[in-house]
Amino acid sequence: MATATYPPPPPYYRLYKDYLQNPKSAPEPPPPIEGTYVCFGSNYTTDDVLPTLEEQGVRQLYPKGPNIDFKKELRSLNRELQLHILELADVLVERPSQYARRVEEISLIFKNLHHLLNSLRPHQARATLIHILELQIQRRKQAVEDIKRRREDARKLLKESIATLDGN
Amino acid sequence: MVGLIIGFKKERKMDIISQLQEQVNTIAALAFNTFGTLQRDAHPVKLSPNYPDPPPPSNPTEDPATAAGNVSEQPKLMTAALVKAAKQFDALVAALPPAEGGEEVQMKRIAELQAENDAVGQELQRQLEAAEKELKEVQELFGQATDNCLNLKRPD
Repeated sequence: MATATYPPPPPYYRLYKDYLQNPKSAPEPPPPIEGTYVCFGSNYTTDDVLPTLEEQGVRQLYPKGPNIDFKKELRSLNRELQLHILELADVLVERPSQYARRVEEISLIFKNLHHLLNSLRPHQARATLIHILELQIQRRKQAVEDIKRRREDARKLLKESIATLDGN
Repeated sequence: MVGLIIGFKKERKMDIISQLQEQVNTIAALAFNTFGTLQRDAHPVKLSPNYPDPPPPSNPTEDPATAAGNVSEQPKLMTAALVKAAKQFDALVAALPPAEGGEEVQMKRIAELQAENDAVGQELQRQLEAAEKELKEVQELFGQATDNCLNLKRPD
C-alpha cells in the first residue's frame, strides 16, 4: 500500500524570526473570514442559521409567527403523533395497501417536532449567555467588595500600628 | 448532541432540549419496533374461508414468540411502552423553563448586562490599581523602617 508523507508545515515560520525582538516585524494573523468559503472542495457559510422547513421541502404543521408557544405546540404535535400512530394501526388492519400515506404523515410530524426543538436552541444559547453574564457580574461585585474591605482593614491596621509606635 | 454516559461512571444529565430530542427518537424507535414486531409475528391472513388453518407448530419451544406465550401480550407491552414514552415527553415539555419574551427582549437584556458588566469591571480595575498602589507604598515604608532599624537611626 503506497503511503504518502505528511505535507511539510507552511513556510511562513521564517517570517517570524525576529518576533521576540520586534513584534511588529512579522505579519499580522489573517483576518476572520466573512461570507462563504471553500474547504476541501465544498462550500461552507459563516452564517450558521437553521434552515426553515419550507427550504427543506417539508410542510410546517405548527403556526408561524414571531413568538411561538413552544410548550403548547410540542404538546399538540405529540398528540397528533399518537393519533397518527393509531390511524396507521387501523389502516394496517382494514386497508393495508394504504399504509404509505399514513407513514408519510407520521414522518412529517417527526420532522416538525425535531425542527421545533432545533429552533429552541438559539433561545437556549441566549438564555445561557444571560445567565453567564449575571454570574460574572455577581462575581465581579463580590471581588470589588472584598478588595474594599481588605483595603479598609489594612488602613485600620496601619493606623493602629502608628498609634502604638507613637505611644512608645 | 451529548449522549448519556451509562456504565460505571455516574450518569450525567443532558440539557432539557437534548433530552426532548432523545425522547422523540425513542418514541419513533418504539413505534417502529411495535409495528415491525406485530407484522412479523401476526397470523397469516385467511385468503378464503374454505382454506383450512395451517397446522399449529408442533414444538412450542421452536418458535420463540409462542414459547414466551405472549403473542397476544406483546402488543399490550409494546403499546404500554409507547404510551409511557409519550407521557414522558409531555412531562419533559412541562419541565421546559418558561419562555420569557422573544429574541428582542433577550437581546436587550444581554446589552444591559454587558453594559453593567463593563461598568463593574472598570470599578474592579480601579479598586485593584488603588490597592496595588497602597501595597507598594506600604512595602516601601516597611523597607525604610527596617533599614532605619538595622542602621539604628533615630526616627524623625
